[in-house]
Amino acid sequence: MSDRAAPGGVKLALGVLAAVVLAACGTSTSSATPKTYTGTLTFASFNPFTGPDASFGPEMQAGCVVAAHLINKSGGVLGHQVQCVTVDTRGDPADAVPAAEKMLATTPNLVGMNGPSSDEALATVPLIDRAHVPMFGDTGQAAFDKSTYKYFWRLTPPDDAAGIAMAVYAYRKGYRRGAAVFGNDLSSQGNVPNLLSAFKKLGGQIVANQQVALDQSSYRSEVESVIAAKPDVMFTEADPQTDAAYLSQLQQLNGLIPVVGTQPTVQPPWGQAVGGAIGKDNLAKIYAGAQPYAPSQGPAWQVFNTELLASGSDIPQPDQWSQDPYTQTDYDAVIMMALAMVAAGTPDPTFYNEHIAEVVSGGSGAVEVHSFQEGRDALKAGKKINYVGAGGPISLDKYHNSAGAFEIVGYAPDGSNPHIDVVSAADIAKLAA
Amino acid sequence: MSQLSAAVGFGLITASILSIAAVGFTLQFSVTNILNLAYGDIMTACAFAAYLVNRLGVNIWISLVVAALFGAVFSMLLNRFVYFQFVRRGTRLFGMIIVTIAMSLVIQNVLLAIFRPTFFSYHTSPGASYHFGGMIFTASQLGIMGIAVVAMLGVHLISTRTKLGKAMRATATNPGLARSCGIATDQVIDVAWLLSGALCGVAGVVLVLNTATFSEVTGATFLVPVIAAAILGGIGQPYGAMLGALTIGVAGEVAATVISPSYKDVVAFGILILVLLVRPQGILSEVASAKEVAA
Repeated sequence: MSDRAAPGGVKLALGVLAAVVLAACGTSTSSATPKTYTGTLTFASFNPFTGPDASFGPEMQAGCVVAAHLINKSGGVLGHQVQCVTVDTRGDPADAVPAAEKMLATTPNLVGMNGPSSDEALATVPLIDRAHVPMFGDTGQAAFDKSTYKYFWRLTPPDDAAGIAMAVYAYRKGYRRGAAVFGNDLSSQGNVPNLLSAFKKLGGQIVANQQVALDQSSYRSEVESVIAAKPDVMFTEADPQTDAAYLSQLQQLNGLIPVVGTQPTVQPPWGQAVGGAIGKDNLAKIYAGAQPYAPSQGPAWQVFNTELLASGSDIPQPDQWSQDPYTQTDYDAVIMMALAMVAAGTPDPTFYNEHIAEVVSGGSGAVEVHSFQEGRDALKAGKKINYVGAGGPISLDKYHNSAGAFEIVGYAPDGSNPHIDVVSAADIAKLAA
Repeated sequence: MSQLSAAVGFGLITASILSIAAVGFTLQFSVTNILNLAYGDIMTACAFAAYLVNRLGVNIWISLVVAALFGAVFSMLLNRFVYFQFVRRGTRLFGMIIVTIAMSLVIQNVLLAIFRPTFFSYHTSPGASYHFGGMIFTASQLGIMGIAVVAMLGVHLISTRTKLGKAMRATATNPGLARSCGIATDQVIDVAWLLSGALCGVAGVVLVLNTATFSEVTGATFLVPVIAAAILGGIGQPYGAMLGALTIGVAGEVAATVISPSYKDVVAFGILILVLLVRPQGILSEVASAKEVAA
């Protein structure tokens, strides 16, 4: 149920196998001298642009294009202009592996990329890592929580961190008896272990834990079991039809109780289905959902948003991405790679990759910067920098992951998602296993 | 114990919806020998027909009648203009299944194009709740069960007390012989599609009354338990479909209470497999066959 949904098992297995074989057949070359580049440097947006997840690609490319505009306006990276190209994975490992292979073989001056998404990450990350191309995955998959891939980076919070954010928010609100009602699909269940352990660590009690079969015509027996356990809050992630049926039957049999959902429950189809089933006003009263936090404010976001809105025909309907956390982190990723190149003195990935972490955590005495230009100037002046991105502060751990904060939003009767609260990265880190 | 009796009550509601759909499905199959896998999508189309009427401010129960009429006409025309064209050319059972799958996709995508990918709900209230020995029903659910009883009774009376029923049974048993006996089998087949379509329309609306929301795929996701109920009872046997619906509906709800919600489908379909291992022809098919012979 993640917004970067995992693909089917067979295709995934074939994709992983193909990636492993290709990786094994590849050759690794690294030298003590950086490679020399002439001409424009290329960043790839490696994501689905067609298929069921076709919305992912344009969201990612918008972030890259804004970053490229700003870098080029500042004079480029080490004298090179930069550009963004799109690589369509079709959201399917079977298509993504040959697409990755083609990208690596034919893209001139490929120095970094955004992606892959959860659709194709397991199949393609080994291949791209082997080719020494830094990548910023927009996947929340737990498989990358302790990634050992040298060139894999992630600014997207892991899916299972959402469970902790939900527990923290519910506990803050004074709820102590939680019922976990999640779809029995792999993605929905990914949130559950951390939710249960975090809520218990905080002092709450999980009084019911249901894995519900999706798209049934009736959930009344499940609802009766939950009612019997007397919860004061319900945690959930299931597809819109399932949660709509479940909550409308809860409304009939008992009356509604507060609901805390995951990021997929913040999506319009879920709100439409559940709001239609229980009433939009009722949904507004009971609902809160956790989604990755992008503050959409502050100097770095101002730089990003100003350029985004001025991007003209390069980004269709640019205002739709203004508050999009994925677009913001994709923008930040390109800026970070460009600053790391400046820090390393070369766009050669085998050299600048090691400098990526230091541009967001320069340590004591580091200058806080909010744009490529500020960062480049500070680095040229011999200073250490701490880049604070459009998506907020970035703190990378030893596995190249930035946990990030979560925003708690509600549903207004008009379908919008008003801000309610923030669960900080520090709050989440405290409760992480 | 109270949760168990409540689960049985909830199972009766599911069984009511399933039985309306399964009887319609199996009635049409018994007469025409076409396994109509577009049935779930016709249910959805009927739910949309009721939705359009309901949005005009019309009561949901009147909208249900409109959906039944729409389903009847739609199903009959679907047979006349699509399925029958293939039957006339001698398309065999497997080929017809592919044709019905194609129609399922066509209907689903036409609905998607018209209504866009989102969710819809009826303007209706479930009404007051009533308790019967540990079971809880809303007024709307009592209405659904009442409709199921009336529909089943109607099918029973048509089948056993009318010339049309006899003609349908004769056509189902041996169409060639029925024709040579002077039965207008084409008209009988039309009536079978009309009746099946009307039940399909009713089933589509009561399904949505139960799920509270629907999209272009809601009926299709319900098709598997419908077919399971029909097969469990003995495909082509309306009474078997009723019994199959009752078994699957109640077993699923009781399993969700006693074991785990995750095993709801596992238990219901496990029973289906066990029964078919023992009686591959379904629960009632031999009983019905014996009656046919006696008649």
